[in-house]
Amino acid sequence: MSLVVSPSMVQRWTRLSRRAAAAVVIVLLGLAVLPGVLGAGAIDRLAALFVYVIMAAMWNALAGYGGLVSVGQQMFFGLGAYFTVRLAETGLDPFVAMGMASLLVAVVSYPLSLVMLRLKGGEFAIGMWVVSALTHLMVNLDGLIQGETGRSLISLNAYAPGARRDIIYWLALVAMTGLLGGLFALLRNRTGASIQAIRDNEEAAGSLGIDVTRTKRLIFVLAAFGIGVAGALWLASATTFQPKTYFSVQWTAYMIFMVLVGGIGRFEGAILGAVIFFLIETWFGALGVWYLIGLGVVALLFSLFMPLGLWGAIETRFGVSLMPVGYRLEIPPQSRKD
Amino acid sequence: MTKKEKPNGLTRRELLATAGAATAAMTMGIRPAFATDTLKVGFISPRTGPLAGFGETDGYVLEVVRKALANGIDIAGKTYAVEILDQDTQSDPSRAGQLAKDLINNQAIDLMLVVSTPETINPVADACEAAGVPCLSTVMPWEAWYFGRGAKPGEPSPFKWTYHFGFGVGEFHKTYVSQWKLIETNRKVGVMYPNDADGNAIRANLAPLLQKDGFTIVDPGAYETGTTDFSSQIALFKQEGVEIINTFPIPPDFATFWRQAAQQGLHRQVKIVQVAKTGLFPSGVEALGNLGIKLGSAAYWHKAFPYKSSVAGVSGTELADGYEAASGKQWTQQLGATLSLFDAGFDALKKTPDPKSKEAVAKSLSTLNTVTIAGKVDFTSGPVPNVSPGPIIGTQWVKAAEGAKFPLDYVVTENATDPNVPVGATLLSYNG
Repeated sequence: MSLVVSPSMVQRWTRLSRRAAAAVVIVLLGLAVLPGVLGAGAIDRLAALFVYVIMAAMWNALAGYGGLVSVGQQMFFGLGAYFTVRLAETGLDPFVAMGMASLLVAVVSYPLSLVMLRLKGGEFAIGMWVVSALTHLMVNLDGLIQGETGRSLISLNAYAPGARRDIIYWLALVAMTGLLGGLFALLRNRTGASIQAIRDNEEAAGSLGIDVTRTKRLIFVLAAFGIGVAGALWLASATTFQPKTYFSVQWTAYMIFMVLVGGIGRFEGAILGAVIFFLIETWFGALGVWYLIGLGVVALLFSLFMPLGLWGAIETRFGVSLMPVGYRLEIPPQSRKD
Repeated sequence: MTKKEKPNGLTRRELLATAGAATAAMTMGIRPAFATDTLKVGFISPRTGPLAGFGETDGYVLEVVRKALANGIDIAGKTYAVEILDQDTQSDPSRAGQLAKDLINNQAIDLMLVVSTPETINPVADACEAAGVPCLSTVMPWEAWYFGRGAKPGEPSPFKWTYHFGFGVGEFHKTYVSQWKLIETNRKVGVMYPNDADGNAIRANLAPLLQKDGFTIVDPGAYETGTTDFSSQIALFKQEGVEIINTFPIPPDFATFWRQAAQQGLHRQVKIVQVAKTGLFPSGVEALGNLGIKLGSAAYWHKAFPYKSSVAGVSGTELADGYEAASGKQWTQQLGATLSLFDAGFDALKKTPDPKSKEAVAKSLSTLNTVTIAGKVDFTSGPVPNVSPGPIIGTQWVKAAEGAKFPLDYVVTENATDPNVPVGATLLSYNG
């Protein structure tokens, strides 16, 4: 590397991003003690926000970094919930069942990746949707689920309402922190560089000696696991499992919205997008059809006029990066003249 | 708002002073006196989206109930003001659950009322059970409510806070046998049960009962909702020579199925077409055109029910006429069903010494035995705790008399599940 002789510097952490990292730690600690401060309604809603952040970050990892655009991620959301119901039915503690169900989703996604990753672009996107619809039908055939009748996770009722709400909140917080932290670490190391190289040009990455299939599989399984966690958490908070609700394509539509608006391929973008979606849902959700039309229009406008999303625009304009997953070139003022 | 402040509105200073006082009062645990005297009742139903047919009349029923309760209710010697917080699920089960949590957590409701379809009721009932808030519901088969939410046959009820009244498989059985014996047929029944909540419950529980009563069941198997080609089922029904059709489809599926059946001539051989879940409301039947005339149906309420609303004091006919006058639309069976939920809910509140105690309200629900505009609600003698089965009355859609306001008339043809309801017409053969 010519790092030593050049007057310019390659940086990862800037002063801003160091401060941001410190702020993240403080915010997370603050969030952890919130159940003692806030009322039941706010805690419940915040847990939903954490689930949205997980979903956005996972879809972003898949599409923004892995270049794998899928419209079938609701399959893992549904399976996370379904496996939880199934495992809890055997007498397992519901919270333990949630963890095992998420792992099971990751296990299931591995053989699926062997087939699905052979498909490219649009084929992969639609292929995932087809498999998702198929999975939904197979879950419907389960005698326990009884078609669309579904099954509720009533073993959760063994926990007192307050304790139950707080546990779900903390689980969601831990899951979000763990998944985002894991993704951040992954994107910063060697694999992260491979992932982004594959997104930019698959053939070129392959010719540089990157194991394309292995890297893609890793991100596919990670995204499946994360969304499985989201499904299990959503079920814990809603109790009711009706297959139609969980295997609905609307979940993937929400993920796409959050990532498009926040900033595709930007680590901070997915989080920002999830917060924006959460606020829009809170304020305008009661408008019904117009709310959904509004979501569609906003996503459309963003993809037309701000394809990098909000965070992408902020990043290009101000050159800031709070969660640095890449490298940045810092050029001292005097060398800019030549 | 950019408008200038109205002279009689609050000034900024007044607003700040009020807000400050209110905050101070809240932090010191002082509540304004009126707060403790208000009963808050949550009401969740599908008013828009695919299930909007169910919620169409709810606005009118709410108006009637609010008017009747405008001066509050007297409970155990004390007068309470009543606030009904109504919410629309937009036919989305996720939203139903979230609305329920919002009403429970942020509005501190004392009782939840929820009506129409498993997609609406189950998520709300689960949220109430989770939070320990009493909840009463009606209008869905009780089996899907009880077993679909995780209760197991033969085991004690896992539910402490949630109660449901209304029809189940047993009532459908009685009604169908009574209705189908009204006409001479070969007793061969072609059934179209989808792979969903109602379809599976009906296939597992109703079909064997019908067989015991001497009906031959011709079942081509469960179909998925949204199927667009029913030729194989139609061919089987024609080959077997069925004279009765029984189906539990969603409206678009029935329209597809029955149009194809008509094209292939099945409609000429059948004498009874008994539909459930579809054909509940006049608008849906009118949309089928001539094929909708003489469809057999079953009603969880009819304006001929001889009861009065305990909350609003109106009879069935008064309720139906009031709705027609106010909206210009034909009455539907949902009017009485929704009002019966308010009847039963407020009766439970009235029968408790302390309606602000959730424990007391739940206890009152568990021993509730009352008569609503839709008939008896009795939780002391149900098939399982938490459930009170209700009537489902055999009916038929017929062409209205000349000069009537609306093209179709909905007549009662049998009353096996509630003999107090007067039978108004004889069942007509579909192909007759």
